[in-house]
Amino acid sequence: MAELREIISTGNELAAIASVDAGCRFFAGYPITPSSEVMHVISDLLPSVGGASIQMEDEIAGVAAAIGAGMSGVRTLTATSGPGISLKAENLGLAQMCEVPLVVVNVMRGGPSTGLPTRVSQGDIRQAKNPSHGDYRSITLCAGSLAECYTETVRAFNLADRFMQPVFVLLDETIGHMHGKAMIPTIEDVKASIVPRKKFEGAPEDYRPYEVELDQPAVLNPMFEGYRYHFTGLHHDAMGFPTEEIETCRKLIQRLEDKVMLHTDELESNEEYMLDDMTGEEGEVLIIAYGSVALSAKESIRHLRKAGIKAGLFRPITIWPSPEKSIRHYTDMIKNVLCVELNIRQYTEEIERVSGRLDLEGLYKVNGRPISPYEIVNKVKEVF
Amino acid sequence: MARTLMRFTGVGGQGVLLAGEIFAAAKIKLGGYGLKTATYTSQVRGGPTVVDITLDDEEIFYPYANDGEIDFMLSVAHVSFNSFKDGVSKGGTIVVDPNLVHPSDEDRKTWNIIEIPIITIAKEEVGNVITQSVVALAIANTMENAIDKQVLIDTMLSKVPKKVHEANLKAYALGEKYAREKM
Repeated sequence: MAELREIISTGNELAAIASVDAGCRFFAGYPITPSSEVMHVISDLLPSVGGASIQMEDEIAGVAAAIGAGMSGVRTLTATSGPGISLKAENLGLAQMCEVPLVVVNVMRGGPSTGLPTRVSQGDIRQAKNPSHGDYRSITLCAGSLAECYTETVRAFNLADRFMQPVFVLLDETIGHMHGKAMIPTIEDVKASIVPRKKFEGAPEDYRPYEVELDQPAVLNPMFEGYRYHFTGLHHDAMGFPTEEIETCRKLIQRLEDKVMLHTDELESNEEYMLDDMTGEEGEVLIIAYGSVALSAKESIRHLRKAGIKAGLFRPITIWPSPEKSIRHYTDMIKNVLCVELNIRQYTEEIERVSGRLDLEGLYKVNGRPISPYEIVNKVKEVF
Repeated sequence: MARTLMRFTGVGGQGVLLAGEIFAAAKIKLGGYGLKTATYTSQVRGGPTVVDITLDDEEIFYPYANDGEIDFMLSVAHVSFNSFKDGVSKGGTIVVDPNLVHPSDEDRKTWNIIEIPIITIAKEEVGNVITQSVVALAIANTMENAIDKQVLIDTMLSKVPKKVHEANLKAYALGEKYAREKM
């Protein structure tokens, strides 16, 4: 097993540290509770490694500056909360269309609108799937522990460069602000895991950044190295210039879909907690939860097992695209399924779609308070 | 050791967060698990703030204290005392600053309420109001016996600037003294 190091910190701080360790050298954003500490910490860290951080005049300018840095070839982060994503949405669509890598940490709070600024929620699950209009596929990772605030942020940077698009890391107020021990990989291991974006090495006159295999992302060379191309939110050709040519338009958007959906095996990541002894016999309980709610679910499973109820947790870490095969496997095997979310059925609907089952039980809360382990225990006892 | 659940409450800006971080870090230093969570309102200063501290030898998943299971609470603001007292187990200990918190007769029947003028001690006896979180830390640890005293003090010193080490050591000693007098 790889060597780990111990760090005592908060989820937000770990996301910032992870970014710098993963090679991020630019941050632009606008402070918003409960994500502001990501910006505070990375602003302290970046200058000492030759990077830069800037607080822009608003959320829109924050993501715009970050995308600009991403276009230039630098690993880039922005951090915000749901209301900030609403403002950034248009530019996130631009990044999808231009295929600009970027990591977006969203520390979720209560919504809609300004909602409950200091309180926990998972209300941005649907938003993360499609923040802006048009066809593209979101890659969204959801941290379920302090350590994952670090490891999933590192993974997000590698995925952003692999798939050439924004990658979301969802934290929530609970996990972003909780303070405790995390066992994380060493800096050497993180550095060794970095896979930078692909680069075209041929002659500049042969360079066609958007002329790639139909299931692969664009190859965007860093700026100012002699390779010239164009960025636009319009449908574009091999050099990035606007076009309405029928086949070029179709292929471009189909490629945005296929570059992700034909490679979901590279994206899937789940935790299966206390599921290894499940056989599908009567009375077994499958809990599906993600993010900080999974912490409560694990604690509830300890109580349920002590009470003689065989319960286990399936926790998607990559939530978009959803882990279809794994969800189907467990929902086919286990009859009693309880989805627990800090929203109203935002992911349950995805589980229903994937499993084809409409008899899933749910426990939902939207008042800014966490779901306690006892609430889950009581719900399990009540409905199954 | 069974799980220890402590809750510190005040209002935003009083610095109740630091004591929680020190407890969690000291427990981790000893090879166990410690978590601190803070809940606050969108009011920047003056809103009720609660810090939950969970210490255990086993891994802790859920980071908040379950209502009704808290062993010990300390409160330096009346609004917070009223908002969060029901989390404390019946008969559990609640330390309050009597200048700022005014428990009812009913409260006194339900919980073991102890009055220690935490803010006055920090302000007048230590001479620095900011040390109140260390006075609170000492009171909590003396009454709950949660962490080896020297480990807790060393952790505390590692988290405050050197120039205030002496003041904070004094704050710890005073907190401990007042706690012992009330035990």
